[in-house]
Amino acid sequence: MNSVQKILPFYFRLSDKPLFGCYHEPSTSRPRSCGILICQPVGHEYVNSHRALRHLAARLAEAGFPVLRFDYYGCGDSSGNSEDASVAQWVKDISAAVVELRRRSGLFRICMVGLRLGATLATLAAAQRGDVESMVLWGPVAEGENYFDELLLLEREMLRFRPKQRHNQKSDVQIEILGFPWSHAFIAEIKDINLGIIAQSITKNLLLLRNDSEGSANNWQDRVVHLAARVEHRCLKAPEIWLPTADGSLLVPAQVLQAVVSWNSEIHS
Amino acid sequence: MTEEAVLFGARQSLAGIVTEPVIAGDARVTKAVILLNAGIVHRVGPGRIYVKIARELATMGFVVLRFDFSGIGDSVVRHDHLGFDRSSVAEAQEAMEFLHATKGIEHFLFLGGCSGALASFETASCDPRVMGAVLINFQTADSQNEETSPDLPTRNAAHYYWKYALFDSKSWRNLLTGETDYRQVIRVLWFELERRLKLKKREQRSATHFEGRLQSLAARGVQVIFVCSDGDPRLRDLREAGGRALKQLCASGAVVLDIIRGADHTFSSVGDQKRLLQVVRQRINAMHRHAATRLAVATYSDETSSCQFLQPSSAAQAGTNTAQRGDL
Repeated sequence: MNSVQKILPFYFRLSDKPLFGCYHEPSTSRPRSCGILICQPVGHEYVNSHRALRHLAARLAEAGFPVLRFDYYGCGDSSGNSEDASVAQWVKDISAAVVELRRRSGLFRICMVGLRLGATLATLAAAQRGDVESMVLWGPVAEGENYFDELLLLEREMLRFRPKQRHNQKSDVQIEILGFPWSHAFIAEIKDINLGIIAQSITKNLLLLRNDSEGSANNWQDRVVHLAARVEHRCLKAPEIWLPTADGSLLVPAQVLQAVVSWNSEIHS
Repeated sequence: MTEEAVLFGARQSLAGIVTEPVIAGDARVTKAVILLNAGIVHRVGPGRIYVKIARELATMGFVVLRFDFSGIGDSVVRHDHLGFDRSSVAEAQEAMEFLHATKGIEHFLFLGGCSGALASFETASCDPRVMGAVLINFQTADSQNEETSPDLPTRNAAHYYWKYALFDSKSWRNLLTGETDYRQVIRVLWFELERRLKLKKREQRSATHFEGRLQSLAARGVQVIFVCSDGDPRLRDLREAGGRALKQLCASGAVVLDIIRGADHTFSSVGDQKRLLQVVRQRINAMHRHAATRLAVATYSDETSSCQFLQPSSAAQAGTNTAQRGDL
């Protein structure tokens, strides 16, 4: 990795619900015609995958792409609290980030790289906008209902040995997943997600990344394969980095990051 | 309250967020808290707890800086091969230099979880600008060694047996009906027995290095608050490492040990986070009052840095790069 690479943390959309972003300036040796927006997952998945996505941004910048990582409203360093989050707000946040990336990079062409719910939100934003050049969907949440069930299962598993909350400690207005409180309205939005119902093509080039550790029952590719004219699938041997690890380590799957960089380098050569 | 993204340090390579109250006119904030990374989780903390703590403290009138040590989160890796035990203290000092340069603040409180608690303790031990530290699930040298030791699963199993299985009817049923792995139980019990014997021997010797450092901090008037989850094995490690000194200092009020019942290492439920926030709010307020009284009566001419391993050049220039400020 280039030691002189520059990372600029900043806030944008200052007048209304400021968002935190981190801009990775591209290596000047190989200028590209496309900026890359990284759409992160949320909740504990955001915390667990932050390190890997930061490394991904650095590698893409090294390959000549200007890159913006950012936190949605109520997440990470951005303003607001998770209780106030909504899918609609986050889709708007992605559009605000596209504007910011174009302003900083001076490039119009944008590729979105999304992980888990970030991939889903990127898909929804791209469907609304119709101006996204290419997309990488890494383990996207294709069906919200299944995703929510997975989260509840993990919450139960992780807190198996904890004292049960007394009834008067439970909140009627929130659902809690591993320390992140979400509103019932937000959970209803999540459960409604179904990428299979997006009828139109949303981008020119699409890379679908699947971890080989994902169960075969989870055939999310079938629901998103129609979203672009040119679709490439890759199934890689890599851990599900968004899940908590036994020793608290944060995983960086080099083979997946390399796949994203090489695919983008080829598409936007 | 405002939040501002900053880059600071000698190489402008440490990324952080400054959270501060909005103050009218020319008045300036004079009290600051610096939050140090909990393990390798970036500056938002597990369950975003550092964001909540920073915002809460800003409403109480503190400037709060939460930043990433080099190689964690958005901060660039160091290339000087300095070990984390030293670089973490050097960078905590750079954070103080930065707040001094930009806000004029001279004295600081620290807060950190896990390895961030240890870095806070080390910084407080060697830098007279630190007036107090809140150490959450403090990682003693023993915990640190055990976390990289192959015995870790056995140690965790011993904690689980003692904390949960002993009081769980299902575990007893499994034990009595032969559904338990007896070899594993014997291995864990033997490990625990050996550990306790070693501890007994150590107790008979003179006070540990850690006990001495606790006493030294107390003698300097530095407030030390340990906040521990009772579901975390590090609480036991702390009591063992602190020995008699910890008991005596707690009894005299020079050191405080707050235990949060039912909480785990990362405060992974909202209820635990709320109780942690409440403790932090109370303790930081009390520490600030104590520090203000101490500063009012003390002269620091005789206080010199007792930092043994930092190079003078490492606590380097501070400065700010970027950023825009977001009114929240």
